[in-house]
Amino acid sequence: MEDIPDDESWRDWFQHYGPKLLLCARQWTRSLADAEDVVQEAFVRFWRHQRKLGGEPQALLFTSVRRAATDLARRNARRSAREERAEGGRELLEPVFEIPQEGDDRRSDIETALRGLPPEQREVLVLKIWGELTFEQIATQLRIPPNTAASRYRYALAALREALSAADCHG
Amino acid sequence: MDKELLELEAELKRLRPVLPSRELTAAIGRDLAAPPARRNFWAWAALPLAAVAAGVLLLQPTRTSAPAPALVQATPVAPAAPVAKFKPVSAENVLYAQSDDGLVTLADGTTALRYRSSYVDTITWKNPNTQASLRWSVPRTEERVVPVSFQ
Repeated sequence: MEDIPDDESWRDWFQHYGPKLLLCARQWTRSLADAEDVVQEAFVRFWRHQRKLGGEPQALLFTSVRRAATDLARRNARRSAREERAEGGRELLEPVFEIPQEGDDRRSDIETALRGLPPEQREVLVLKIWGELTFEQIATQLRIPPNTAASRYRYALAALREALSAADCHG
Repeated sequence: MDKELLELEAELKRLRPVLPSRELTAAIGRDLAAPPARRNFWAWAALPLAAVAAGVLLLQPTRTSAPAPALVQATPVAPAAPVAKFKPVSAENVLYAQSDDGLVTLADGTTALRYRSSYVDTITWKNPNTQASLRWSVPRTEERVVPVSFQ
């Protein structure tokens, strides 16, 4: 990915990468509202302090999103279990992907299958498919060896295939 | 990966994540339009020191990895610029303290809530050719002022 030109508007950049960042933030937060807070904080910090660094701005921004999510989780750690259950219930109703013209059942099955993945596999899958990061970049983000990132990705795809096959049989 | 997994991978790539809400875009616009949070004095003092340290460390790997010049060489060769080889690979912000000052009165008489968050920002650069890395940590204090009104 190229560096961001000086004259590029933050709106253009956010329009292009915002959906990916929000999707990734949702893997590390408990609700859509929390994910939006995290993306807001991370994006503003990135745009003000980090975008002139050069290199891979998308990878830097994902790191910033992950760090903001960790900070939020720490701040919210004392929230009651009751509140968390209520938020979890709402989250299930909110779609993660845009609804296509046709094949909405399939999208819904994929979202359900994604939620059923172990978190460590799901975050690798999301960063690889929709974040478009390399295994090397994912490894840096998550502080794991690149081979572990690649293994988790393959396990996640295999588990998704199994879950979707089961859904097809029952659907 | 087998063919079935590749097909599933392609299907997943076709799914588009939902767009961020207009409220989120508007909130980012408001944040970016506002003046950046003030940094405290010791954070500013740390910047030049960190820059000097970064400069010294950047030069270190090329010194050790550069081949020794041949004694018979008559014309000195200009060394390659080492800085261009390093690329940032991660930027982290560790929150280590937070405080809530409660209601305060600003210089213009506005009543506001003020929060302070103290971070250590750490940026890591890496040279993909030599695997040499450089980490730069800078303390930062962020103040958030939220104007309030009483009805």
